[in-house]
Amino acid sequence: MPITRRVFIRNGALAVVGTAALPSFLTRAAFASPGAMGKKRLVVLFQRGAADGLNMVVPWGEDAYYRMRPTIAIPRPNHGAASVIDLDGFFGLHPSMESLKPLWDAKQLAVVHAAGSPDSTRSHFDAQDYMESGTPGFKSTEDGWLNRCVASGAGKKDSPFRAVALGTSLPRMLSGVAPAVAISNINDFGVGGRSAAASNTSGSFESMYAQSVDSVLHGTGQETFEAVKMLRAAAPANYVPAAAARYPRGRFAESLKQVAQLLKADLGVEVAFVDIGGWDHHVNEGSTQGQLANLSREFAQSISAFWTDLGDLGEDTVVVTMSEFGRTARENGTRGTDHGHANVMLVLGGPVKGGRVYGKWPGLDDRHLYEGRDLELTTDFRTVLSECLSRHMNTKELGKVFPRFDSKDYLKFIG
Amino acid sequence: MPQSRTKHLLLTPCLATALVILPASYLPAKDKKKPGPKSPAVAQMDESKKGAHVLNRLAFGPRPGEVDRVAAIGVEKWIEQQLNPEKIDDSVLQARLSPFRTLQMDNKEIVANFPPPAVLQAIAAGRVPMPSDPKTRAIYESQLAIYKARVENRKQNGDADVDMRPPEMNDEAAQNNRRAERRKLMPSIMALMQKSASERTQAVLKMDPAERRAMIQALTPQEREKLVADMSYEQRETLLAMANPQGVVTNELMQAKLLRAIYSERQLEEVMTDFWFNHFNVFLGKGADRYLTTAYEREAIRKHALGKFEDMLVATAKDPAMLFYLDNFQSVGPNSLAGKRSGQARFQGARRNRAPNQEQPMMVEQPAPPVQRGLNENYARELMELHTLGVDGGYTQKDIVEVAKVFTGWTARQPRLGGDFEFIDRIHEPGTKIVLGQKIEEGGEGEGRKVLHLLATHPATAKFISRKLAMRFVSDNPPPALLDKMSATFLKTNGDIKQVLRTLFHSPEFWAPEAYRAKVKTPLEFVVSAVRVTGTDVRNPQGLVQTLNKLGMPLYGAQPPTGYSMKAEAWVNSAALLNRMNFALSLANGQVRGVDVSSQRALEGEVGIDNEKSLEMMARTLLAGDVSKETLATIRKQMSQPQYQQVNNPEMASPAPRGPNDGPGAVAGLILGSPEFQRR
Repeated sequence: MPITRRVFIRNGALAVVGTAALPSFLTRAAFASPGAMGKKRLVVLFQRGAADGLNMVVPWGEDAYYRMRPTIAIPRPNHGAASVIDLDGFFGLHPSMESLKPLWDAKQLAVVHAAGSPDSTRSHFDAQDYMESGTPGFKSTEDGWLNRCVASGAGKKDSPFRAVALGTSLPRMLSGVAPAVAISNINDFGVGGRSAAASNTSGSFESMYAQSVDSVLHGTGQETFEAVKMLRAAAPANYVPAAAARYPRGRFAESLKQVAQLLKADLGVEVAFVDIGGWDHHVNEGSTQGQLANLSREFAQSISAFWTDLGDLGEDTVVVTMSEFGRTARENGTRGTDHGHANVMLVLGGPVKGGRVYGKWPGLDDRHLYEGRDLELTTDFRTVLSECLSRHMNTKELGKVFPRFDSKDYLKFIG
Repeated sequence: MPQSRTKHLLLTPCLATALVILPASYLPAKDKKKPGPKSPAVAQMDESKKGAHVLNRLAFGPRPGEVDRVAAIGVEKWIEQQLNPEKIDDSVLQARLSPFRTLQMDNKEIVANFPPPAVLQAIAAGRVPMPSDPKTRAIYESQLAIYKARVENRKQNGDADVDMRPPEMNDEAAQNNRRAERRKLMPSIMALMQKSASERTQAVLKMDPAERRAMIQALTPQEREKLVADMSYEQRETLLAMANPQGVVTNELMQAKLLRAIYSERQLEEVMTDFWFNHFNVFLGKGADRYLTTAYEREAIRKHALGKFEDMLVATAKDPAMLFYLDNFQSVGPNSLAGKRSGQARFQGARRNRAPNQEQPMMVEQPAPPVQRGLNENYARELMELHTLGVDGGYTQKDIVEVAKVFTGWTARQPRLGGDFEFIDRIHEPGTKIVLGQKIEEGGEGEGRKVLHLLATHPATAKFISRKLAMRFVSDNPPPALLDKMSATFLKTNGDIKQVLRTLFHSPEFWAPEAYRAKVKTPLEFVVSAVRVTGTDVRNPQGLVQTLNKLGMPLYGAQPPTGYSMKAEAWVNSAALLNRMNFALSLANGQVRGVDVSSQRALEGEVGIDNEKSLEMMARTLLAGDVSKETLATIRKQMSQPQYQQVNNPEMASPAPRGPNDGPGAVAGLILGSPEFQRR
């Protein structure tokens, strides 16, 4: 039997596991598995509930911003911890997101403002659905854009971990024909529990599916057990986070930590998906302190820790964030914000030309607001994603990933 | 179409056999007169497979001994019985369902007994009086206390109740608070637990709402279970309703669905109810549909599951659950009296979004801003795309707008308070509409009836529905010849579902060998068939409800109007397969909550029979013998493992405890998790 790439990967992973018995300073040196270098990866983060992008990346140079948000606006820079962290003299970060400032300074983090889905819906469900299917306005799309991206890529069936979602079910974005795995926890992905007898059972199931003549189940069964074995062999949990990577508490950080472990274990992950809910702040959103501040801190610290944790792997990794729509430019009567339109997207990665805010800023004056109330959209989220796919992931058939959409007007945030 | 001579010759003996088996009355009229030549020659599956086949297709899989029972009745006769469910005694199921009182309630009763937020708001504002019945009153008082606390909390802390972060994100202070609270209440918890079931119920009912709430929150999940363990269903329901009245309604609906699928003798009716609900999907998680779905399924779906398609279409169109789910209840004609009054300046034309404003759990869906109070196209679009013509059914965007105008005024008065269907002329768009090239003269509610009739009898609908039925009963890609026959029956009988199914069940395609076990089970079909085939006694279906959440098919939980997919690729992925295998092992070893292991005779084998015999018996019981050589060899190998031998040696004085991976349960688990069992 010729040595396939799969066998190679598995042996590679096993070889690294062997080092786990070595003193920890040596295993740290083995971070990440050498095979993991040089492979393009995309990590997609979804902020469910419609994050208030105007308070995350604040247009502090706009007077209108302060007029419209009398109690929740973030004060202009240079008021210490209780003010905007300036980025470029016009935009600035919410102070709770200070952990991202070093990535901005290192020119690895870029911001795309006034971006999002062009569809006018203000329903969480519809808007998320459109962003995940990648076809705003078309409900009948069965699969997700991230799956179509994997499906159209080269090297089909290379690894069962090409597309991974951390969570109990596969998100809409990753559903489709390309194999994709949902993992709630890399430490209990298997059959029959963790006892010795479980490996008998697991082995029995594996051999049943391997020998099955059922074409559908045979293939998926094989992938599944390959994944289970690869995961067990690679023991990604052994890849303890880099010392400098300080993940905060919470599911989002834990998921990102596990993504880092999967990447470092060289399991062939090309795309990964993690989501974080809780952004629907209609009431008492808060300003420099409060609900949005707390959640943004968790969000930013997790991303920053993940980035530190990736180390050299970051060179070939792009992280992109999105949320279904933005929130009203004005605060409402309950010191929160209602459902709006355009939002902010963050792009982070080795190939990213960071330290810049991309996109056309429409302004917050009444005459520039969408339907008189929301930030106008100037960059379609598919333009941002298309650039990540074509210039970073080398996706060739963008028309299949985003049908009925053709944008070559890239913002050129990827060098 | 010219028929080859060879085919004709091959066909004759086959049909002759069929005629011997079938009493003449079960054959479609056409075949009685002219047996043979018109049907294409399709090979037939082995006679011995037919019992298992119909139980896998018209039912949610066989129960122990049922394949033999169907064979004894005669497959064709059994099919005909299933097509007439009203004549089948279903008292065993009815007894199991009798404690679930919400199942027979209409929307108003449900709302009155299990108050949703809208009712609590009305009571808090003094618009509605408190109920007088002491149990209902306790539920109201408890909910009102929670409601008031929430309003207060919002004033002080903002939107705490829409915080979607998982519990582990709650700060430590809150956890410490809870611990302190528990320590304080410990003596009363201990005292409560020592009382008898009825004393305990009374004691909890007597507590004041705040005290009760604090107590419930202080209990561990185990204690909560123990608190209600020996109570009657009614006592338990009252306590549950005090904590979460909507939860009682949705729980009973979900549990009943599983109990029906598992225990009903009217299996085809259950299969078809499931099929049509999925076809006319509404989402239980969307606001008022939490309490409107019970009556919807009963009145609009089940009642017509084997009746006339048009009757079902009309019933769904008028049901508050559908009116709410697809937003038609708030669609307003721009030129109607109300539309003009609300300000033409603000009317922005048809909304671009087309699916329902669905609420994610724990997310606040915003009330539609005033600019959007105009025509809503959602229902019109899904009516044609998903309910009738199909996406390629030949309608245009113009048709969608016209149909949306037709259905303005089809609404429910206060659906959130359980209000019924109502046609309101004041919001109905005036003027003539053109739908699919046909003029619909101005005529109020009658316009909608005309359009529904037009759609229900349209050839594209006949084809679309036939195709979907064939995908459920035959294969993911059903043969076109079958679809033609079914469509013809559909049009000839004005959409008589029973007749269309007869055509399907008597078609050679249904009996073709390649149709046998051709369908990959959905998670629902997998779980229910596993429970049925093991003859398990389900005391409390809640554990199985959770299994379906884990398998990615929560009951009544399809958010998009498409419902769940019936095709294999939607359900075959790594995490899903692992979850199926783990469920198979848990079920076979009695580790699924609420499922009684002691009744799993099929899995235990007889004491003293050897491994080979017990394996053979299990393969026959669980998979009608359709277990591949390879799978059998694998299981034999596992049976030869020392752990297995040790645990199952009856001569050993004290058998080692059985885990999920050894013992006869493990073998049954392997069979239920095998590739063969994933198909039906």
